[in-house]
Amino acid sequence: MNTTTCDAGHRSELNDRTAPPSMRSRPTYASLSPDMAGREHLLVIEADALQPGQASALSNSFTAIAGALRTVVSGSDLPVPGASVQPDLAATLLAVKARLSGATMQQRVYAIGSEPFIWSIHTAAIEAGLDERQIRLCHSGSLKRRVWCTHCHDTTENVTTNIVACAGCGRHLLVRDHFSRRLGAFMGVQIDAEVPGEVPTTEEVFP
Amino acid sequence: MTGDQLKLRVAAIQDIAPTLRLVRFENADAGPLPPSATGAHLQVVLQAPDKQIRNAYSLISKPGSRDVYEIIVRRVPASRGGSAYIHEQLKTGDLLTTSWPGNLFAPQRSARKHIMIAGGIGITPFLSYVADFANKGIDYELHLCCREEEKDSFAPWLPEPDKVFMHWDADGHRLDIPALLLRQPANTHLYVCGPDFLTDDVLEAAEAGGWPDNHVHCERFGSALSGGEAFRAVLQRSGKQIEVGEHESLLEAIEREGVEVPCLCRGGACGVCLTSVLDGEPQHRDHYLSKTERASGKHIMPCVSRARGGGLLVLDL
Repeated sequence: MNTTTCDAGHRSELNDRTAPPSMRSRPTYASLSPDMAGREHLLVIEADALQPGQASALSNSFTAIAGALRTVVSGSDLPVPGASVQPDLAATLLAVKARLSGATMQQRVYAIGSEPFIWSIHTAAIEAGLDERQIRLCHSGSLKRRVWCTHCHDTTENVTTNIVACAGCGRHLLVRDHFSRRLGAFMGVQIDAEVPGEVPTTEEVFP
Repeated sequence: MTGDQLKLRVAAIQDIAPTLRLVRFENADAGPLPPSATGAHLQVVLQAPDKQIRNAYSLISKPGSRDVYEIIVRRVPASRGGSAYIHEQLKTGDLLTTSWPGNLFAPQRSARKHIMIAGGIGITPFLSYVADFANKGIDYELHLCCREEEKDSFAPWLPEPDKVFMHWDADGHRLDIPALLLRQPANTHLYVCGPDFLTDDVLEAAEAGGWPDNHVHCERFGSALSGGEAFRAVLQRSGKQIEVGEHESLLEAIEREGVEVPCLCRGGACGVCLTSVLDGEPQHRDHYLSKTERASGKHIMPCVSRARGGGLLVLDL
């Protein structure tokens, strides 16, 4: 875990979260703050992605809209007053969908955690009819990636290495920076398509 | 299809209220008319005795209709000649030149619900919307702010009266815009067409009410923008100097001199008539140029914008 706040980053070319991306589709993130134009706010936190003390700092930055804020914490409990605690991502998504059914144009959604987590919340919010401009995301914690295979269209979760065997078709995929907001995943392309079996050394680059 | 022209015949004229006239056009040439989409408008060339007037009118005929086009024209007291000509001189059988239908105000197809707010004759683009939405079972609300005596004038074009709400200037009947905007489900799109004060109120309320700006759409009345202080313009390439009167737009003055400028909306929205400014200071009134582009003063939209303080403009035309 390299981060203390979501602005700090592991400063390598691949992993920097705030520097201008080498690839246009690669998302960048800012720290979370409430959108004062909203009237109803939903904050979704991946507990394991936060450093000690970060949860209360987050609560503090949302005090201005505390009366209109609902918080969902995913994973372990956190010192966030009034939060609904959900055991895992699946339960968190159900809670988020329930909260967003009947959402209005004044709804705002914030998510903080690993990229697979925050983009899962993003997808749920879009499905509930929210616009990108009603959603704010902040990457914190692990750099692990969700990888979408361009060959079989299956996704492989929790990828921390530069090359990964696809969970769907078994091909060795090079994990690219090319990101799909619709799928909330990075693109994986077969690395040994030219010379079958010639696979470079696998390294952990997204710890 | 900017620049392509149609020859239309006035097939029928019907006064639907003291100041509202319906005009139905059919193709004067053989064959069906070009299809028009929901929210489209038609630029009509009117040959008044002393000058040529071009006005853009929303098509209220059913979207996709290829046998007739229909428009509704309000007679306005401060007419530049267009509405007066249509109300006083146009008659059945007349032949007119128009543009092909253009569309700068199409509904957003991904919306879950549509809220339309119209001020008076600003209802016209929404008459094609409601025909389309009713046909497809799409959720909408139409709010019309008008004079009380005109609230029933548009009934023939409103297929679902329960989705239409009339507002007028009396206690208990005024539209509470902020309240309306606070109770709309996510992925609602908002449209406004009417006089500037209504459009500005709605845009302000939407911003204050937390609506993402890409969910808010407006079509302004072109005519409200076209007049102002008289000034002089030099058309450099054509070697002409023109006087722009206080009741005409720069574009109209240029056309009067026989210089062609491609144009589409004639309301400062589409950007087609963008013209380079070689000298002089424009007074920008369009909705097309960015703040930076406005500040640079290098371009002007002659359909609505003028010279600042009645000064001289030198244009690359």
